[in-house]
Amino acid sequence: MSNKLIKYLSSLRFTILLICLLGLMFIIGLWVPQVRLVKDIYLEWYRNSPRLVELLDAFGLTTIYTSPITITLWVLFFINLGLVLWQRMPLVKQRIAISEAKIADPENAAGYPYRNSFTLPADFDGETVVAKLRKRRYTLLGNASGFYAAKNRLAPIAFVLFHVSFYLVLLGGLISVYTEFIAYLDLAQGETFHGELSRYNSSPSPKLPAFGSPPSASFTVASVVPRVVNYTPTSISVKLLDGQGQTHEVGINTPYSTGPTSFVFKHLGMAPHFVLKDFAGTVIENTLVKLDVLKMRPDTFALAGYTFTATFYPDYVLENGKRATRSMEFNNPVFFIAVERDGKKVAEGLVPKNGTLEFDGKRLEMQELRYWVRFYVITQRGLSILYLGFAVACIAVVWRMIFYKREIVGAVRESEGERLLVVAGRSEYYKDLAEDEFNKLFCKITGKSGEV
Amino acid sequence: MAFWEIVFYWVALVIYSAACGGYLYSFIFKNPRVMPKMTALVGAGFVSVSIAIIARFNATGHLPWSGHYEYVLMGGWFIIAGTLFVGWQNKSLQGLAVATLPLVIIMMGYGYMQKPGLTPMAASLKTIWLYIHVYFAWLSFGAYSLAMAAGVLFLLKHKSEAREVPNPAYDRFPTLGRLDELIFRYVIFGFVTDTIMICAGAIWAKALWGSYWAWDPVETWSLISWLIYGITIHLRVTFRWRETRLAWLAVGALSSVIISFFGVNLVVDTSLHVFQVR
Repeated sequence: MSNKLIKYLSSLRFTILLICLLGLMFIIGLWVPQVRLVKDIYLEWYRNSPRLVELLDAFGLTTIYTSPITITLWVLFFINLGLVLWQRMPLVKQRIAISEAKIADPENAAGYPYRNSFTLPADFDGETVVAKLRKRRYTLLGNASGFYAAKNRLAPIAFVLFHVSFYLVLLGGLISVYTEFIAYLDLAQGETFHGELSRYNSSPSPKLPAFGSPPSASFTVASVVPRVVNYTPTSISVKLLDGQGQTHEVGINTPYSTGPTSFVFKHLGMAPHFVLKDFAGTVIENTLVKLDVLKMRPDTFALAGYTFTATFYPDYVLENGKRATRSMEFNNPVFFIAVERDGKKVAEGLVPKNGTLEFDGKRLEMQELRYWVRFYVITQRGLSILYLGFAVACIAVVWRMIFYKREIVGAVRESEGERLLVVAGRSEYYKDLAEDEFNKLFCKITGKSGEV
Repeated sequence: MAFWEIVFYWVALVIYSAACGGYLYSFIFKNPRVMPKMTALVGAGFVSVSIAIIARFNATGHLPWSGHYEYVLMGGWFIIAGTLFVGWQNKSLQGLAVATLPLVIIMMGYGYMQKPGLTPMAASLKTIWLYIHVYFAWLSFGAYSLAMAAGVLFLLKHKSEAREVPNPAYDRFPTLGRLDELIFRYVIFGFVTDTIMICAGAIWAKALWGSYWAWDPVETWSLISWLIYGITIHLRVTFRWRETRLAWLAVGALSSVIISFFGVNLVVDTSLHVFQVR
């Protein structure tokens, strides 16, 4: 019974079944909104069809990539991979082994579908053929009277490497998952961060690592310079000044990395410095506000009991009497601010940099306009193992699939006063195409056209 | 679109359509003599697309790597480059164009309906990983398309040979055995480049999004298509799936690649593979 089970668990049929099931789970994951990936869509779906979503929740289909079903499939997949590897090891050893016993009569050798003979030129001795095969990277045993030659003899090792690479990716992935710290951090130009956990955004809440501690980075955002051409953001340069006085430049594709922690630029916003005064000039409130307004959606903030709704125009223009922006370039940044108190509109107006808005006996001054950036802070250990897995997988798949094994048995024989090279050959994966390849090879070696 | 880009894009589309008609005529009316002329025509169309790409490069300052229109421009270029390359290496494979040309024509038509405006390179795309990732993606798409084309040829030739009087138009193509092995060879090449593409994409994703794998819809689909081709290779090598079954697999599996390139972003708007191009 257990033998039967192990046999099934180690079968390729089972591998294919598992891959199909995993593929099916991934497809379901694309169709069913996932809580972690598209929370807003998930919540909207939940509001519309709570029973259906609860049912899907119960089966873990809304967290499908970490659901018990998927984890079970992965566990079975790696068990299957391990068993396949274990069972195929002797076969791999056998395939790469080379011995005199492999020298066979090319006219009768079993398992060699390609057979041909080539007349050798008069000045050509058998050893020249052997030397020419060696020159073409064939490992050769024997001599002209009978030889066995193999090209890419060690290719079956790549099978082992390819499957081992999956374990490296798994190991790297597991280490990264269990040491993972994820959080978002909003910092405006001039703000300093010392690694305080309380400074990270509360929504979504930071994911603390199962092993290890949160990162202990410390830096000040020295400058933020975005570049936009029309509507396309073409670059961003965020300069960070660390505790040692060193400057680090963060851009898109170039996070600030300190140890296993990366601060990845995620989002840009406007951070106006507002001062609310009364008409006598006394400061009522003074604050740097981080507004998420660059997607042309208004954002709100509150000062002294008033609610301010701000819409931002990076390149402000009045078109047909309507407020608009010529582009997303920061050529003429202007806020349109509506002020409310207790749900009633008090005032509204345009506020450019250093501009003011007067209302209700008060004056709102924008003294400075900075940027703020949102960093995606992620700590992951084990990435070097994971990348090693990727590298091994790439090398192994190229080795196994492109540098596959070819074997030849041959002999130089005399027949009717002529010297003939008699050969038989076989190749992994191919028969007809290998025939073309062998014909081409021996025609080049002998300088003759092939004769069957 | 730049002026010369529009001109040569349309010239290429017209040439490809004419060549496609010629290939179909050759098959349907059993006239194989037309085929080399059609290959020359495809070559002319390829030159025309290349000029369109150069014109776009000249106008934007970067190679067309982003957005659906640019995907089809470069994707079509790679597929036809592959078709011409294998046809040049082996004359009997010139007929692969009968399957790859319609695919490229549909892609080009679809691309034109997207946003072909001239846009500067988005910041997220300014990295060496773009070239590695996208280059291998196109190589794999090209190879899988050739596998599909070889599959189509195999099925047509197989059907023709089952008749009492086979269509002489198929005589120019390799034997069924060779076509069967060619399908596998193209699948192998596609799988190798696909593997490199996914690994390079994961490393780029770590720098760009902070995570090497985020179950993004495009990521997930490319994993699904990689698994499908992985299964195809296993079925061929271990279960000896050959000939008709392999040909159908090569034709069917291409749909998973088309979905990951074009389909996912049509259906799902949550993919990170959008790159803010307007």
